[in-house]
Amino acid sequence: MDAVQSLLAGFETALTPLNLLWALLGVTLGTLVGVLPGIGPALTVALLLPVTAKLPPVSAFIMFAGIYYGGMFGGSTTSILLNTPGESSSIITALEGNKMARRGRAAAALATAAIGSFVAGTIGTALLTFAAPAIAEVAVQIPPSAKFALIMLAFVTISATFGGSPLRGLISLFFGLAIGLVGTDLQSGQARFTLGYPELLDGIDFVTVVIGLFAVGETLFVASRLRKDKASVIKLEGNASMTRDDWRRSWKPWLRGTALGFPFGAIPAGGAEIPTFLSYTLEKKLSRHPEEFGKGAIEGVAGPEAANNASAAGVLVPLLTLGLPTSATAAILLAAFQQYGLQPGPLLFVTSPDLVWGLIASLYIGNVMLLALNLPLAPIWARLLLIPRPFLYAGILVFSTVGVYSLNNSVFDLFLLAIFGVIGYGMRRFDFPVTPAIIGVILGPVAESQFRTATQQSNGDFSVFVRQPLSAFILLLVLLSLIIPQVLKARARAAGRGAVQAG
Amino acid sequence: MTDPSPSPAPAVRAPLSLPDLAVALGILVLGGLLLAGTLQIPFGINAVVGPRVFPLIVSVGTLLLGALLLVSTLRGYRAEPAAEEDSDPDAKPDLRQPGIILAGFLVGTLLLQPLGFVLGTAVMYFSVGFAFGERRLPLLVGVALVVALVTYVAFTRGLGLSLPAGVLKGVL
Repeated sequence: MDAVQSLLAGFETALTPLNLLWALLGVTLGTLVGVLPGIGPALTVALLLPVTAKLPPVSAFIMFAGIYYGGMFGGSTTSILLNTPGESSSIITALEGNKMARRGRAAAALATAAIGSFVAGTIGTALLTFAAPAIAEVAVQIPPSAKFALIMLAFVTISATFGGSPLRGLISLFFGLAIGLVGTDLQSGQARFTLGYPELLDGIDFVTVVIGLFAVGETLFVASRLRKDKASVIKLEGNASMTRDDWRRSWKPWLRGTALGFPFGAIPAGGAEIPTFLSYTLEKKLSRHPEEFGKGAIEGVAGPEAANNASAAGVLVPLLTLGLPTSATAAILLAAFQQYGLQPGPLLFVTSPDLVWGLIASLYIGNVMLLALNLPLAPIWARLLLIPRPFLYAGILVFSTVGVYSLNNSVFDLFLLAIFGVIGYGMRRFDFPVTPAIIGVILGPVAESQFRTATQQSNGDFSVFVRQPLSAFILLLVLLSLIIPQVLKARARAAGRGAVQAG
Repeated sequence: MTDPSPSPAPAVRAPLSLPDLAVALGILVLGGLLLAGTLQIPFGINAVVGPRVFPLIVSVGTLLLGALLLVSTLRGYRAEPAAEEDSDPDAKPDLRQPGIILAGFLVGTLLLQPLGFVLGTAVMYFSVGFAFGERRLPLLVGVALVVALVTYVAFTRGLGLSLPAGVLKGVL
């Protein structure tokens, strides 16, 4: 098999002592920042971008792979011990895992989450190894019109699935698209929406937008309605470990969660939220102890946590093969690639095989490291949760400042950061999801360029989008995914008022 | 996040929420400004789809979505603030605290070049810590300086980023 050979070459790259060190640094930093309450995987990656600024691309991406998986592992610790999910896909882990911890089973909850994440991450990475080259081979042939259609599909599904209201998701998306327009138009050289500021000719850096909307916005929002009572962190006695019975009850949910999570990550359908919920429902149905669910059933942690991590691996399939991010974290990884002048997509497998395969190999390595880091060291990570909130949020803000300032050594960017912070506050206050805006900022310019390439190739004939079979099919899916949920909602409403509310 | 409060039944006309109305109007204004900006972009030459087309789509889309939001607000829709970690959904919002953080951030930003990174970010650190209710001020000042200093040294020495040294130039 070609993939096996390429993977071995990737391991050769990733297993050099220096790259192993970067991988270790990545998983450690990723877990460290991921554990901190208030910081999900997307923000973890964005905050740690400046750390990689001076590295060569291969080492930088090996470190990113570690940060990416590390942030996911760290998030489950916070969910279980503090009952605060850093992102929507950890809600179930918080729900069931925190109940387990309250019953004195924190060690088992952390262990099943960590081992489940390891199993799912490894299987998911293996699937990625074999699926990615095959898809990349096909993807080279996809015409620009279909790529544009694919991005539309990602836009619509991501806007409609994050948060409760598709209208609010779409507004958030359009806000991101508008931000993405700022700067010099690459094809014609025209300045757009720069308001006369020369600093805006290069556009607004996505890091400024991400850190402003996520970190500064969150800091402002939490400050405005601060929880007065002390957060109740559950003490962890000893290492994360499981009994024989825990193993017996966990291994099937791990595998089932993996099977659910990977495909959902790989299609543009709004990330890991759906498979974690599906996995939870499935485990509840199959369990011999359904009465334990909602009170701390180990299957309810094992399955969703595996689904979560498998989808994180699945997300890398469209990202690496099509350049299409299907989650906020993937969008930030995409932008990180772009900073190095690399465009993820089918050609990357041809032009930079050492980078792609080094990255994939380091995902296996990072997974093993994370398992080793998380089981025995769980008590140390747990202690991070005890940092007093004033010092924690102050530190997050200083770190944000470093990240944004060091992009261009520009004070102007810090003023932009403050503006996006205020907008991020407003989005939380008025219930607009942040992720669609991030996706809009990063994918908007890509969408525009594919759109223009497609129309140029067809000599200005706009019907290319409906005549090219693949594009037409995907655009039909876009329409359906906008319409069907509305129809279902309307029917549910008509069927019975007061019945369970849809959405 | 699960929605804790049942949404108002459509039959009962909910009172109009002024903040929500302001947001909907704000989005319409944004769409209008985008459209005005779009019309200032010159037509590209030699391009089938010029640099104006996409901004036009985005601004018209924003106007349409803003109009839809306005309609739903006028029919009584009210946004629920997000439930974030560490935030208390039942707490009375206190806008003074974010105000303190923003003020500290802007002062720190202005001081960043003349006084240097360490003192500038120490001001930011202090203001956030203060806004989050830390009142042991000497401790907060000390931690602010230490965090700023460690961050500065780690990023400039360890990672080779350049951050403004300011008054500490030569000392560090």
